[in-house]
Amino acid sequence: MEQKTGIWQRMGKALGSLKLTLFVFLVLAVFSIIGTLLPQGMTEHDLHDRFGGGLGQWIVSLGFHDVYRTGWFRAFILLLCLNLIVCSLQRLPKSFKLISREEQSLNREKLVRLSTHVEMTSRLSWADTQSRLTKVLSEQFAPPKVRQTSDSYAAYAVRGKWSPLIVYGVHLSVLLILFGALIGSIFGFKGFMQILEGESSNEVMLTSGRQSITLPFSVRCDRFDVSFYDTGTPKEYRSDLTVLRNGETAHSRSIRVNDPMTFEGITFYQSSYGTVLKLAEVEFYDKGAGITEKLTMNFRKTATIPGTGDRVQVVQYQPEFSRFGPAVGVVLQKHGQPGSTGSWILVDMPDFHGNRIENYQVKVLRTETSQYTGLQVKKDPGVWMVYAGFTLMLIGIGLAYHSSQRKIWVWAGPQGNVQHIVVAGRTNKNSLAFEAEFARLCGRLQESLRD
Amino acid sequence: MVTSSLLLSLTTFAYFGSAALYLGGVVFRLKSVLTLGSLVALGTLVIQTAGIVLRWRESYELGYGHAPLSNLYESLVFAAWAIMLLYLIMEYRTKQRTLGVFPALFAFLAMAYASFSTSVDARIQPLLPALKSNWLIAHVITCFLGYAAFAIACGISIVYILRRSAEGSGRPSPILAMMPEPRQLDELNYQLILFGFLWLSLGIITGSVWANSAWGTYWSWDPKETWSLITWLVYAAVLHARTIQGWRGKRVAWLSLLGFGCVLFTYFGVNFLLSGLHSYATK
Repeated sequence: MEQKTGIWQRMGKALGSLKLTLFVFLVLAVFSIIGTLLPQGMTEHDLHDRFGGGLGQWIVSLGFHDVYRTGWFRAFILLLCLNLIVCSLQRLPKSFKLISREEQSLNREKLVRLSTHVEMTSRLSWADTQSRLTKVLSEQFAPPKVRQTSDSYAAYAVRGKWSPLIVYGVHLSVLLILFGALIGSIFGFKGFMQILEGESSNEVMLTSGRQSITLPFSVRCDRFDVSFYDTGTPKEYRSDLTVLRNGETAHSRSIRVNDPMTFEGITFYQSSYGTVLKLAEVEFYDKGAGITEKLTMNFRKTATIPGTGDRVQVVQYQPEFSRFGPAVGVVLQKHGQPGSTGSWILVDMPDFHGNRIENYQVKVLRTETSQYTGLQVKKDPGVWMVYAGFTLMLIGIGLAYHSSQRKIWVWAGPQGNVQHIVVAGRTNKNSLAFEAEFARLCGRLQESLRD
Repeated sequence: MVTSSLLLSLTTFAYFGSAALYLGGVVFRLKSVLTLGSLVALGTLVIQTAGIVLRWRESYELGYGHAPLSNLYESLVFAAWAIMLLYLIMEYRTKQRTLGVFPALFAFLAMAYASFSTSVDARIQPLLPALKSNWLIAHVITCFLGYAAFAIACGISIVYILRRSAEGSGRPSPILAMMPEPRQLDELNYQLILFGFLWLSLGIITGSVWANSAWGTYWSWDPKETWSLITWLVYAAVLHARTIQGWRGKRVAWLSLLGFGCVLFTYFGVNFLLSGLHSYATK
């Protein structure tokens, strides 16, 4: 039985130790450094290409291509939380003692043992000495608690009494932030939407995994606009959005970068934009067979060239193809032949020799494009807790910078017709500044006891 | 016509002068030269402040209209300004002029890098949509006040280590003897680290809140974020080692140097070696 408590005590001690904290800090730092040096989110295929089979396999099995989401990393954050909780609980009683202890049995011998102490004498009367000591302490430091007997005077004063508790506030703030992040990752989501100008959608592609979710309302992009500076760099992206529920307008707002829209706890951020092809009018000319056919093709919908059985599809669109203007990617599947061939067709250069696939000279007569807006979509019910943690942390560190617990004890006793006085002090930090403050206080005391 | 670039080039040379005067004062043990160093530093800070304000106005005249805190050049200028401002306040409060060499030198190096490096673009550029936010000002100011405090702490740590090594070798150098007592250096180092830690925390938090309002993520493990967190962890470790474990002196001084190394990597290393959300800070 005794053995067992020993183990538990030792484990508790280890869990709450500063060594563990520093160790976890170090591990988190090393993991994070790996995460910044190795591009994150690479696929196994990319890793294999870049680092070779052996090393690539190692990186994947250790999760270094996605460090911050690995079980390893999260386990160490959990360990940090545990360490924080255990060490706070272990130290809390000591801190409370530091606050409530007032040195009941104050005497001369105890005070002269403190490293910061000064002895002085006074020729004033015993009663006068006592009242002046109390007065100067109240005025120059803090109102003291005084205990007087017929032949002794003991005073105790404290400033920054609650200062030792500040650090627990900071520890709590770290836990709040991490807990808020946990809530967000469990009950929230993060994803992406692409909405064509004039159209609406309620599908959000999630960032992690290949799933999507359906919102209880849909979002329509009424207009997307991008403006530029004279230098050509983008000045502003703006999307005019309308939230629709059961076909009716529920909310309407313009969003910009740095100015998102929130509707029922879900926030929409301006994130990207682009152009998509809606349809293209394409001419296929086969010189040998004497065929010229004009087709109006919807994007990514298969069409057949009349009289041939050859199937064609517009599969890609680029608004700017290597400075040659817009280009469409067309794929052709010859009738009765396996496989397919394709080519980029330059829209603005109809006579370009590369505008051909197999036996066809291809010409794009007309394109109809539309702009889409890319929206980052997020729901994070833990964010208020993270912000509460931020606030608490700043208050805590700010107070820690500004305050320290300083204690002053004064003992006095008559020795013949001279009064003997000892002043002593102690602080929990910034001892140099305290020594200066202590010296100033002693100077004032001495001054007031002179006449 | 006085332009911001004229005032800021003047600042570069004047900080060099100030650093030289501080060094001369310490080497030749001349109090008057040290005082002159302080006066030059103060005068330069005033000129630099005027330069920054003027640059701000010029950006309005160009039609861009943004605070001069938007790219590498402007952040370097602000870093030099923050270091000297903090240092001069510290000098005034501690009445110690002998510690001015390193802050003035750091300020000069930042200004010189901003002015003379060909990879740093000194032109006033329009603000990218992502940076158009009042959070920009809060984020940059808080981060750089933190960096400035760490820079001064780094200078003090170097002095501390030199002084202790000189004492250890049995030939106490008269130059170093003019510097504050080791205990006072240690205490100042701690105060500055705690001060810097407060501002770094503020800087990370303002950045985080900003990111959440612009992109919807308060933390995305971008290399700059991650390195600022590593820096934060190092300084948190310093503070804990000092209060809980009672570490003092040399060990804290070395850790302070390590911390400042992380600051430099967060500031420069991440910009040039790693890519991420903060890519606008490279030009």
